[in-house]
Amino acid sequence: MRWSWPSLAVALVVWAILPLVVSRGTADLLVFTGIYSIAGLGIGLLLGHCGIVNLAQATFYGIGAYASAYCAVNLGLPAPVGFSVGALVSMALAYVIGRPVLRLTGYFLALGTLALSAIASALFFEWDWLTGGTLGIGGIPKLGLLGFALDRPSRYYYFVWIVAFGCMIVARNLVDSRTGLMLRAMRDSSTAAASLTVDIQGLRTRIFVVCALFGSIAGSLFAHHASFVSTQSFTVERSITFLLIPVIGGATSIPGIVVGALFVTFLPELLSKLGDFHQILFGLALVAVVVALPNGVMGAVESLWIRATRRSGHGG
Amino acid sequence: MTFSLVLQAIFAGVTNGLVYALVGMGLSTIFKGSRVINAMQGEFSVIGAMTTVLLLSQMHWPYPLAIAAGALVGAMLGGAIELAFVRYMTRKNASEDSFLLLTIGLALTLSASVLFFVGRDGHLLPPLGGDGVFILFDAVIQVHALWLIAIAIAATIGLRLFFHRTTLGLSMMAASIDADGAATTGINVARMRTYTFVLGGLLGALGGILVTPLVAVDYQLGLSLTLKGFAAAVLGGLTNPLGAAVGGITLGLVESLAIVGISSSYKDVVAFSVLIVIMILMPQGILGRAGRRGG
Amino acid sequence: MAAESLLALEGVGHRFGGLTVLRSVTFDVPERRIVGLIGPNGSGKTTLFNIVSGYIRPITGTIRFDGTPLVRDSIQRRGAAGLVRTFQTPQVFEKMTVLENVMVGCCKLTRTSMVQDLLRTPAARRQMKAIREQAEVACERFQLTALRHLPAASLSAGQRRILEIARAVVGRPRLLLLDEPSSGLNQSEIESLREWIVRLNQEGMTVLLVSHDMALMTVADTVHTLYFGEIIASGDMAAIQRDARVREVYLGV
Repeated sequence: MRWSWPSLAVALVVWAILPLVVSRGTADLLVFTGIYSIAGLGIGLLLGHCGIVNLAQATFYGIGAYASAYCAVNLGLPAPVGFSVGALVSMALAYVIGRPVLRLTGYFLALGTLALSAIASALFFEWDWLTGGTLGIGGIPKLGLLGFALDRPSRYYYFVWIVAFGCMIVARNLVDSRTGLMLRAMRDSSTAAASLTVDIQGLRTRIFVVCALFGSIAGSLFAHHASFVSTQSFTVERSITFLLIPVIGGATSIPGIVVGALFVTFLPELLSKLGDFHQILFGLALVAVVVALPNGVMGAVESLWIRATRRSGHGG
Repeated sequence: MTFSLVLQAIFAGVTNGLVYALVGMGLSTIFKGSRVINAMQGEFSVIGAMTTVLLLSQMHWPYPLAIAAGALVGAMLGGAIELAFVRYMTRKNASEDSFLLLTIGLALTLSASVLFFVGRDGHLLPPLGGDGVFILFDAVIQVHALWLIAIAIAATIGLRLFFHRTTLGLSMMAASIDADGAATTGINVARMRTYTFVLGGLLGALGGILVTPLVAVDYQLGLSLTLKGFAAAVLGGLTNPLGAAVGGITLGLVESLAIVGISSSYKDVVAFSVLIVIMILMPQGILGRAGRRGG
Repeated sequence: MAAESLLALEGVGHRFGGLTVLRSVTFDVPERRIVGLIGPNGSGKTTLFNIVSGYIRPITGTIRFDGTPLVRDSIQRRGAAGLVRTFQTPQVFEKMTVLENVMVGCCKLTRTSMVQDLLRTPAARRQMKAIREQAEVACERFQLTALRHLPAASLSAGQRRILEIARAVVGRPRLLLLDEPSSGLNQSEIESLREWIVRLNQEGMTVLLVSHDMALMTVADTVHTLYFGEIIASGDMAAIQRDARVREVYLGV
């Protein structure tokens, strides 16, 4: 499904004026949507192009968040340091742990990543000299850019989404590249891919590292948005939420990631007016999507699109 | 680290481990019968336990009856979910990932339902055999724990006998190994699959009911039990439901020895690290049968 | 061993548990020739293929490719050295298009790093363009152009086989291992396959071919008959068909 220039331009304009016309609460949610899109992008790459279920993203999200928080608050260093430290630690950890764990396949790999997330969550809790435990780290400064203090959601929105667009461009580059070809080959038939010299283990590890990088960036952005981070945000449930983003939206589609991120940020909020019942509805909505839309929302949209153009167009 | 402390830890480990084993056996049974990884297995435990709690405290049913009812509710829930969702998706040839995500969604729904209907509080059940304890070499062992171990072992043996001696059990095994072949001998493969979910629900509920005198059950316990049950099943080789017994005990022992040896806060870290290491080094699980990969 | 042997097997043996699948297999594949392997089911042909291509390690024996022993070379290393195989059931990349399938075959000819790909550097863009062009040319050559934007899953068995071969050949391998290439194909597809094997060989490709199809096997210069893990007869197809032991094994005569 190709986007035409006019529709892209319209989307861009809508995106640009959105924070100016919505309430502060909605703008805040839109910032979260951007942050979650970045984290979900990495998971989507692994799920859609490698067939890997990665339930460890909260680990790297947490590392990015705590790195930014610690460097800014405890060490008084400028924000880029926190971003970089988080990114480097996440990538290094992903590489070291990824090499052995990614030799597993299928459910074992999913369980392995889930176990990783559980371990990280416990360590975030235990190592309170670093993370502050449940009390967390507070007072994380807002970011400033070129003299502008990004202290309102409507301002931070632009920064977060520009970073998100950057990540999306990088992801799109990867998918369209030679590496992308090899990833999909690996997903469809690792036996044949091996015979064509695709380095399966190496690729899996490297994509896992890229996914961790995205998670870390999202975490750092989160820290500067929320001003306060603590262990509740980096649990196994958070990893599951990140997995849901490409599942709902469509793992091989970048707009799908945004749809999925919108789903997991807005839906709980919209439903919360119904009290505790809203969580049941969220679960049911998720089940409905999985059952009715196996390729996610964008997958369904693409199928409709194909059918529509085939009907209106010419045969064969 | 005294001897009595170690003994107590071993005992606690075996006790907890058998709870994980029951959850894991249910998970393994479902996986073997339908290739579905049931991420809501722990919710069966919670719902079974909560049912027993409510019947006991609100409706004043006799304890054994409440337990039976709780287990039955778990079993029926399993069957209902298979009929409502799994059958439909199987007919549409959904991918294995889709089933996993379905069960994740159902797990969220079920845990939210418990929150909605029961609230946030944890609930305890009275221990079986009363509050009594045994003292063995200065180690404190609850009577309930002995009941738990006995019932869990009985369930394990019962499961093995069921699968290998009863017609229904053999039919379920046949249907899971070779669906087409089983169908030609007149076995209703779809119904067998429903039964595996019923059995999985029953085992999960039983595990939940047995652990509730030791640990307060609340709406969040499900995820933790699912995780541990999954670990137990994988350690045991995933397609061997009885392997989950060995896997569960191993997991429980690693956990409790970590508590006494290192500290209670690191128990999850140690347990899950051991799980990862074993998965990498022993892909067939501890009992190792014909190398069964997960996907 | 002749000096121009591209592939040389010596004393290769393999067991699965207590079952000996290959006893002591010794033969070689001279460069630019077509060598065939026949044998009844269970004689070890696929195991031999898996060993040569690196999917299994033999218990005994050595394998030399272009003079160098392949000891612990991975599947990928053997592929890079020019040893490519096809599979009994064509292993196409189902969800990728025909063109993309062939493009994967070209990947081994270039060397962009993942970082370059992530940043879409000019070098990465150039290489991708080159890959696409080479794949288009290969599709032309193998008459797949009309199909090239279809998902590989929608191809017939014969088309899949051709796609698999095209994908293997575009990487300019030195030795092509064909594992039962005619399985699942109808008569005209087998004819087309046969023509392709001959044409590729005339252009310089060395081929090792496993097949139960005796008619197809006539393309081979030399045929070895494998029976319960050993070679019992070698020669051209005519000689094989006259060989007493082969007749005994196949016809019970």
